[in-house]
Amino acid sequence: MSDASQGASRHTDASAEKPTPRSRFGRAWESDFAWKFRHSPVAIIASAVALLIVLAAIFAPLIAPVDPFDPGALNLMNGFTPPGTPNAFTGETFLLGTDDQGRDVFSTILYGLRISLFVGVSAVLFAMVLGVTLGLIAGYVGGWVDTIIMRIADIQLTFPSILVAMLIFGIAKGVTPVEYRDQMAIWVLILAIGLSDWVQFARVVRGATLVQAGREYVQAARLIGRKGPAIMLRHILPNVLSPVLVIATISLALAIIAEATLSFLGVGAPPTQPSLGTLIRIGQGFLFSGEWWILFFPALTLLALALSVNLLGDWLRDALNPRLK
Amino acid sequence: MRFLTMTLTALALGAPAAAETFRWAGQTDPQTLDPHAVSSTPVLGFLNNAYEGLVRRGQDMTIEPALATGWEPIGDGEGWRFTLREGVTFHDGATFDADDVIFSYERASSEQSDVSSWFAPVSRVEKVDQYTVDIFTSAPNPIFPDSIANWMMMDSGWAEENDTARPDKEQGNHATLNANGTGAFRVTGREPGLETTLAPFDDWWGEAEHNITEAIFTPIQNPATAVAALISGDVDMINPVPIQDAERLDAREGVKVIKGIEARVIMLGVGHDHSQLKFGADAGEPNPFQDVRVRRAVAQAISVPAILQTIMRGNAEPASQLVSPAMRGFSEPNAEGVTQDIESARALLDEANYGDGFSFGLKCPNDRYLNDEAVCQAIVSMLAQVGLEAELETMPVRNYWPELREDAFDMFLLGWSPGTFDAEHPIRFLVATPEGNLGTWNFGGFSNDRIDEILPMIQSEIDDTRRQELLDEAAAIIQDEVAYVPLYVQPLVWGARESIELVQRPDDFFILRWVRVN
Amino acid sequence: MLAFVLRRVFQSIIVLLVVGLVAFSMFTFVGDPIDNMLGQERTQADIERLRQQLGLDQPFVVQYWNFLQNAAQGNFGVSYRQGRPVSEILLERAPATLELAAVSALFAMALGIGLGVFTAIRRDGVASNLIMSISLIGVSLPTFLIGILLIWVFAVELSWLPSFGRGEVVQVGGWSTGFLTSSGLKALILPAITLGLYQMTLIMRLVRSEMLEVLRQDYIRFARARGLRERAVNFRHALKNTLVPVITVTGLQLGAIIAFAIITETVFQWPGVGLLFINAIQFVDIPVMAAYLMLISVMFVGINLIVDLLYFAIDPRLRAGRGKGH
Repeated sequence: MSDASQGASRHTDASAEKPTPRSRFGRAWESDFAWKFRHSPVAIIASAVALLIVLAAIFAPLIAPVDPFDPGALNLMNGFTPPGTPNAFTGETFLLGTDDQGRDVFSTILYGLRISLFVGVSAVLFAMVLGVTLGLIAGYVGGWVDTIIMRIADIQLTFPSILVAMLIFGIAKGVTPVEYRDQMAIWVLILAIGLSDWVQFARVVRGATLVQAGREYVQAARLIGRKGPAIMLRHILPNVLSPVLVIATISLALAIIAEATLSFLGVGAPPTQPSLGTLIRIGQGFLFSGEWWILFFPALTLLALALSVNLLGDWLRDALNPRLK
Repeated sequence: MRFLTMTLTALALGAPAAAETFRWAGQTDPQTLDPHAVSSTPVLGFLNNAYEGLVRRGQDMTIEPALATGWEPIGDGEGWRFTLREGVTFHDGATFDADDVIFSYERASSEQSDVSSWFAPVSRVEKVDQYTVDIFTSAPNPIFPDSIANWMMMDSGWAEENDTARPDKEQGNHATLNANGTGAFRVTGREPGLETTLAPFDDWWGEAEHNITEAIFTPIQNPATAVAALISGDVDMINPVPIQDAERLDAREGVKVIKGIEARVIMLGVGHDHSQLKFGADAGEPNPFQDVRVRRAVAQAISVPAILQTIMRGNAEPASQLVSPAMRGFSEPNAEGVTQDIESARALLDEANYGDGFSFGLKCPNDRYLNDEAVCQAIVSMLAQVGLEAELETMPVRNYWPELREDAFDMFLLGWSPGTFDAEHPIRFLVATPEGNLGTWNFGGFSNDRIDEILPMIQSEIDDTRRQELLDEAAAIIQDEVAYVPLYVQPLVWGARESIELVQRPDDFFILRWVRVN
Repeated sequence: MLAFVLRRVFQSIIVLLVVGLVAFSMFTFVGDPIDNMLGQERTQADIERLRQQLGLDQPFVVQYWNFLQNAAQGNFGVSYRQGRPVSEILLERAPATLELAAVSALFAMALGIGLGVFTAIRRDGVASNLIMSISLIGVSLPTFLIGILLIWVFAVELSWLPSFGRGEVVQVGGWSTGFLTSSGLKALILPAITLGLYQMTLIMRLVRSEMLEVLRQDYIRFARARGLRERAVNFRHALKNTLVPVITVTGLQLGAIIAFAIITETVFQWPGVGLLFINAIQFVDIPVMAAYLMLISVMFVGINLIVDLLYFAIDPRLRAGRGKGH
């Protein structure tokens, strides 16, 4: 458990390292934060589950019995083997059964997790960087820059992410050299999900920036001749980070789910290298046919992951809210 | 006069919600009610209930009289004379006669029509008298009556009155939303994409075998939703049933599964005329698939029985050629397909100097054929066993056909259902050297002089034995050259409530007049 | 005030125009409509001819210009798939989506506010924590899976509710409503829950955190100190003060509900505009896609405009500060 708390506090370290006048408060806040964490069973369990899943994904090649992405290692006749029962033709047994291609479900989940987590984390990072930057600029600079950025946000909201995904797929197909085509889908997903997600970061950061920009310390910094970018980065950014962190956590869960939804609508990871979402999409086709394990285990993994990340986000929201003690 | 009593019963019962309302669901809505606007299975299959042709197909696919009571060749293969049925009326009460046939010919063979290619062999159509029509062909055409089972008759008066003398695919017209045929059912309500309602046509010329008083069709795209709708009794019949659900569904109380073999053969094609590979790590290298040994190695590396056993759950038959045994002109001497032989496949690759294998791109649709994506994945892992590294890209058909047309593949999956139920059909569309009306679906650009030479001979050969010899020769060439790698004949899986009796035809047409609700 | 309104309206129009331009630049990437419009027996010449007739051989800017010209006259084109005017199709389908969205919003609001208040009052209770955690399950699984699972349980296994569609609808002056028949009402339940679940969780959380904050405010403490009954304090004072942000967020979320309806409508075969849009994508029905996107953007732009104007009316100083609620 201590690992997780370190992970969480490391993040606050990063913001506390900056030589801002608030660093002393930052340290106190940090210890308070740690105390809250130690006294919240929900936070401890959620972070343990999340950590376990992340570790499983990272060490997938070591844990997984087979590499499900290697087509040469698959035997179609192993298909539809129920969990823990030997296959009628090959006699092989699989912990969580096999899917329609004879792939070990346990191994596919581990490998799928890697893709889902990679897509989710990258998409959120992308959305965060884009959203925070645009939000800061919009809030700080104001005027027509603000107007343009916020209207772009409006346009963005209009387009369902499936359409954004298709557009990017189409363009990417045109510009990617053929030898990179197979990895293209992953980057397209990251871009598509990230692009439909940045607006909420931008809106929150813009709102917070507007509030902070009026504060005395920012005025003071301006008076002593600090440049706009420096003020934004040094003074405003640290003060808007906590809502951003909360949104990021919740967006992570949303991004992983969004990837599953896109896959359901036909724009997702390639079936030969399935993500967790693709596995669920494939699995839901077997809901009525009796092969429940093809859907159940990936769905359970997604649920555990998303739930623990959401719970953490929830807890984080309360813990970071100075007004709630 | 049974239909009369039935009508009376229906009238007595009054409400349309009486017991014999039949609801069914398919995956695709017929996009138009115009029988000449779009030649696709959902449209033609649906419209066969409302419209009729001169001839029609029976339960076993044989040609039988419909609006024509008989037909005979004119002279020495100059054409065909059709004798029309008398006393037939359209749904709006108009009488059917030779003028309607002439009009329907002009409409269906017009430039705006999507079925005009059916009339490519026709030179002219002449009215002999009110109930006799001569159709002349530019060359002897033995299978002409077989090829017009879906040529549906439209009333000339109705079409003129409603300004729909020609089909209009782009803007639509009266015939897009309304139907006025002679069929056993008339369309009483149409909400495109949502619901289409039919009722029995009281003045139909035939004897009704069904006992339906109202039929409602709803398209349901999501297969799981359709299965749920059938189980919960919200619909009486669904087409198709996802193949993996068939067994469980059949075991459920109150529901049954009807299985059959479709006319569609699923096969792999390659870029015969590509000089270089286009995808994968070896993109830019010379195209190995131009070597027949490599193509044969591909065929031998694939275990079709394993695909059928698992992905198709034992519901399909392996294919040896481009048509299924149920089609006219199937080649018996070539009925033996390729069986999996990894050793021989490796040897062939060695011989062709590809012993270390190579990498290439395989394109597949993911919403066109039954479990198409899963089949392609299985093929990828089977080819990997002999060192052929296929990079799979799957996509919806809306992107798939454009991709194939632009030659963006090294290997692709294709399904073909011969519209004429004759072995000549795939040769014309898939094997003949692409030019004009020939080889329009021959994406790989396969070309063989002998095939191009015998195709016109097959088309005009009147003598059945001689024709079969030619078809056998073509089938042998296609097999020897491995123009395509035939995989299996697609299964047909429908689901219905236990109380429903229906007939499943291999062309995937659902004919309402054979339905009984018990 | 007038200047501000005019400026915002002008900006909204620019947004709409850009949406259209982006939309048209995408359509080529969605796929090729031609193959769905021609049958097996088409030739290359047929393909070329149809492409030309539909104007698909033109650059997308020209296609967009033609669309705008027609749209300015109220003509949104004819659906490639259905051969009918797009405006007619959209009008036909809109009631289904609007009714579904309204019911889900109502469900999300009622349950969200109720549970939010409850979990705020009993902040550390077991029941509250349970509700908080369980409600998260609703946002931890993809909507399509929740929909399919609901169908499986309530339509297939229990046979309580219909598995798809809208049930029987009644025409009331060109508006088809499912509110007036029992089958129509029953058909609404599962899709409305599927669609509203996410918003419900969101509102519940928002109400809870706003309540927690308000409950700590001095005037509530005073009210308590004055000896007002607990219930009166909670509802008359605390809840009232949380409702403003809740209503704002819900208003903004209405757009999201309609956007999310695409998935729900696909799973339940619900005959609304979302299903129409998915079908349009499937068949590359460009006129329908274009009109749908324009409609959605008019809606979003409209909601944003109204929210901004409301803020302006309430407090001019807040004019630039509508950061609240994402």
